Amino acid sequence: MARTKSPYKTRLALTPYLLLSPAFLVLIFVVALPLVFSLYTSFTGYRLVRPDTLWNWVGTRNYERIFADLDFWIAFGRTILFLAIALNLEFILGLGIALLINRITWGQRTLRTIMMFPMMFSPILVGYQFKFIFNDNIGVLNNALQSLGISDAATPWLVDRYLALGSIIFAEVWMSTSVFAILLLAGLFAMPRDPIEAARVDGCSPWQVFRHITLPFLMPFAFIAMTIRSLDVARAYDIVDVMTGGGPAGRTELLWTLIARVGYDNARMGQANAMAYVSIILSIAFTYYFFTKLVAARRYMGGAA
Amino acid sequence: MSGPLKRRIVAVATWIGTFLLMLVICLPGLWVMLTGFRPNREVLAKPAIWIPEQFNLNNFAKIFGFGAEQIAIPVPAYFTNSLVIALTSTAIALIIGMSGGYAFARFRFPFKDSIFLGLMLSRTVPGIALSLPVFMIWSRIGLIDTKLGMIIVYTALNIPFTIWLIDGFFRQVPKEMSEAAQVDGCTRWQAFWKVEFPLAKSGIASAGIFAFLTSWNEYALASQLTRSTDSKTLPVGLMDFTAQFTIDWAGMSAMAVIIIIPALILTFLVQKHLIAGLTFGGVKG
Amino acid sequence: MKSPRLKSLTCAALLPLLMPSTAALASEFDGYTLRVKLIGGAQYEPLYAEIPKWEEMTGAKVEVLSRKNHFELDREIKQDIAAGTLDWCVGSNHTSFAPQYGDIYVDLNGVIAGDVLGKFDELAIKNSTVGGKLVQLPRHADISNLYYKKSLYEDQANKDAFKAKYGYDLTPPDTFEQFKDQAIFFADAPTFYGTQYVGKDEAITGRFYEMLVANGGALFDEDWNPTFNSEAGVRTVMWFKELYDAKAVPAGVLNYLWDDTGLGFASGTVALNLDWAGWASFFNDPANSKVAGDIGLVRAPKGTSGKRSGWSGAHTFSITETCDNKEAAASFVTFLTDHDRQMIEARAGLLPTRTQVWDDAKAEFAAAGNDFLVTVFDTYAQSMAEDAFTPPLIDTWIEVSNEIWPALQAAILGEKTPQEALDEAAEEARIIMEDAGYIQ
Repeated sequence: MARTKSPYKTRLALTPYLLLSPAFLVLIFVVALPLVFSLYTSFTGYRLVRPDTLWNWVGTRNYERIFADLDFWIAFGRTILFLAIALNLEFILGLGIALLINRITWGQRTLRTIMMFPMMFSPILVGYQFKFIFNDNIGVLNNALQSLGISDAATPWLVDRYLALGSIIFAEVWMSTSVFAILLLAGLFAMPRDPIEAARVDGCSPWQVFRHITLPFLMPFAFIAMTIRSLDVARAYDIVDVMTGGGPAGRTELLWTLIARVGYDNARMGQANAMAYVSIILSIAFTYYFFTKLVAARRYMGGAA
Repeated sequence: MSGPLKRRIVAVATWIGTFLLMLVICLPGLWVMLTGFRPNREVLAKPAIWIPEQFNLNNFAKIFGFGAEQIAIPVPAYFTNSLVIALTSTAIALIIGMSGGYAFARFRFPFKDSIFLGLMLSRTVPGIALSLPVFMIWSRIGLIDTKLGMIIVYTALNIPFTIWLIDGFFRQVPKEMSEAAQVDGCTRWQAFWKVEFPLAKSGIASAGIFAFLTSWNEYALASQLTRSTDSKTLPVGLMDFTAQFTIDWAGMSAMAVIIIIPALILTFLVQKHLIAGLTFGGVKG
Repeated sequence: MKSPRLKSLTCAALLPLLMPSTAALASEFDGYTLRVKLIGGAQYEPLYAEIPKWEEMTGAKVEVLSRKNHFELDREIKQDIAAGTLDWCVGSNHTSFAPQYGDIYVDLNGVIAGDVLGKFDELAIKNSTVGGKLVQLPRHADISNLYYKKSLYEDQANKDAFKAKYGYDLTPPDTFEQFKDQAIFFADAPTFYGTQYVGKDEAITGRFYEMLVANGGALFDEDWNPTFNSEAGVRTVMWFKELYDAKAVPAGVLNYLWDDTGLGFASGTVALNLDWAGWASFFNDPANSKVAGDIGLVRAPKGTSGKRSGWSGAHTFSITETCDNKEAAASFVTFLTDHDRQMIEARAGLLPTRTQVWDDAKAEFAAAGNDFLVTVFDTYAQSMAEDAFTPPLIDTWIEVSNEIWPALQAAILGEKTPQEALDEAAEEARIIMEDAGYIQ
């Protein structure tokens, strides 16, 4: 791209770094330094209640232990499953809501605020909320099913092998679908009208218009949402911890609940940090995957979004 | 002649339909808010009591210390802390984000993509892995249980997303506009404030509301780094309703109402800018 | 060991003899600020309303640094140890948690006068001692007994049907075997359940542990080798599993903690409930509970060895080694556990740790015509005196527990056989005990 001559050319090389330096400073202080510390502890037998164990270098023993630990790998796999299902559901539901709200012209501001309602809920609150909704004995859900005569069983939502994971996914999806909806709505707003009109004139069905024009245009926004969500998906920890604590019998154990239990309850911080490092690699993989998808989609769209 | 009327009826029907659907989606949350006005005995009853027999402000009275049985929960302090921490960290994150987003949108420099990705990835570190090291560093420099300590952490939490969003918005402002201003004799700084900033303002507002909601609702780190009414935030205050053996769910729900309402009002107020910010892309297309 | 408190109400008229020794010396700690971390929550807070009285007496100020539930407080204290920020004096503690904290707390022998300590139950003091050091002063104690819905046992049709089916009279259970029979007999899921148990975390480990002991088993042998995968261990797990399979307990129990079981019994949909005394006044309060006026209470059942279950613990206060004014701290914890303060807690149903308070509280209940609370205190007094035992007071208790409870859940759900599940947990527990240096 041709750049018009600017009198500041000489300073240009430094300016972006200067502009970025505050961001770097904060992130180094709050994220990078602590990470270096926990990387170090992951090679020690550090136990929280015995400060002197911080100097107890054990090499890669923590990693060897967790790599040989079947429970860890099951939690690892379950976390991937949890992320895959939750993110896809959030995308599909968010898309549906965005398309619906996009049709509304009058009173949209109110509807959009209502749409963002779940975003006002702290993850810890969402956890308690669904713990009480899914309680098998006095929970609202079973009570409603029983009162409506749909079912007279006390379904153990938080205990059953499949329902338990389903319930925590439900809570996570409830909390986070709004993020997808609002970003996809942004995409719909940014969408040029002309190609759609043209396609309609050419006799395309609404489905064809959606499939071949709207959806490709929305994909960058979808990937933005996916990337953003995979960035902070670990806050689902609060929800799972309150709802099931990873139980029963490890049926809803995700990496984050496992790490917290090992690190704090068992006070084995060294081992917990080794697990945390493996989980960070997982997050990075997810984020990187969506990010490259995003870059590709952007290129396809010619730089929109 | 019934054409416009029919269209209006369809529009109203669509609105009502969408509204009802949104209500269904919000139902689990609305249930929490209703619970805040009902006593535990009714909420946790079996068989269920669907039509509230008691609907009052008792839970709120208890929280503010008017009830006999429970010691007041220092809501005003939590509220002030939450407000100060969320607003300040949002403001700082926006300033840093604007500066960083501008760098990414307007400059080419070596390793740009890797640096961008690196910034994003800093957000992938789970709070549970950060909490102990941050705690140890914070305690060495006296930031534990201070609002400043929380503000710094939340700023870091919000920077990646803020940079990203603002980068996107700056990129939608045609570069030619700022260059034209510079040709007219503005400095780059002036061009930024006079041309690019006003156009990206709405985008900044939407980044702001996301950052605010994140800070307002964050629990995992706040529960570790705050200790007393000097810095405890509202979500941490929710745990005041849990004891060793019991959870005062109705009380917690009442507290939830106190947390949610301000965020909801703020979102509604910013909504206009959000719309403007989001439709801006359409102007370009 | 028969405790004097069982001897009825004769000493009820005695006035509280004990006053904190500091009472006489106003402004003893003038200008000093005592920094404390306390357990929070509805049952615990009324005591803290008394703190201003101590401040007035001594001239000191109390700064409450945190007020959280015990699991949160535990995390916070561990962080403090890690970061070296033990810049406070008094912390709430618990007998099950105390051994984890190593040497951060002082030995109260010597810090608190011997005659004060002498007023506490011997057993409570013994259970608060870790490695010969009295690291904590007990505030109130905790043990479970069996609440039941009285009307069920008075119903003639129930009596006849039960006798016909099980061949013995329907009376409140005296053994865990009868407990199980009756729970299954009364259950009619999903509208009515025979009983409930806490199904996760240290809660179910504790239940398993006390029943294991009552069934003649043990967690460890004397060399700290795990032995809970014994035949007695399997039998104990089967008790939980059979109740679960018979739908005598709600299917969600594996996610239940103490609040769920308590609220469940109060909702009137549960026949039997093994629970602590702190619920007693709640259960008998018509505003909160549908079983008010219909509650019976018996001691916790016996296991197959003839011993009753008696998992017991105490909420306590500890003083840090780093405290800069241990006299003030000692005066404070003495005040919070003195006679009048314990009376306040007893009125809420919390079990006192001072011998005298048992009698005085009971006399007060009797005078107020509250026969139910008198029964509660009689029953709990007896179990505290005769049945109570603590979990092993080792620093790895929570860690071992975190291996046991998922195994119990897996066995109850049928994912593993009880023997497999316990074997695996025992193997993990062995590694923990080896790592911690108990097993050489």
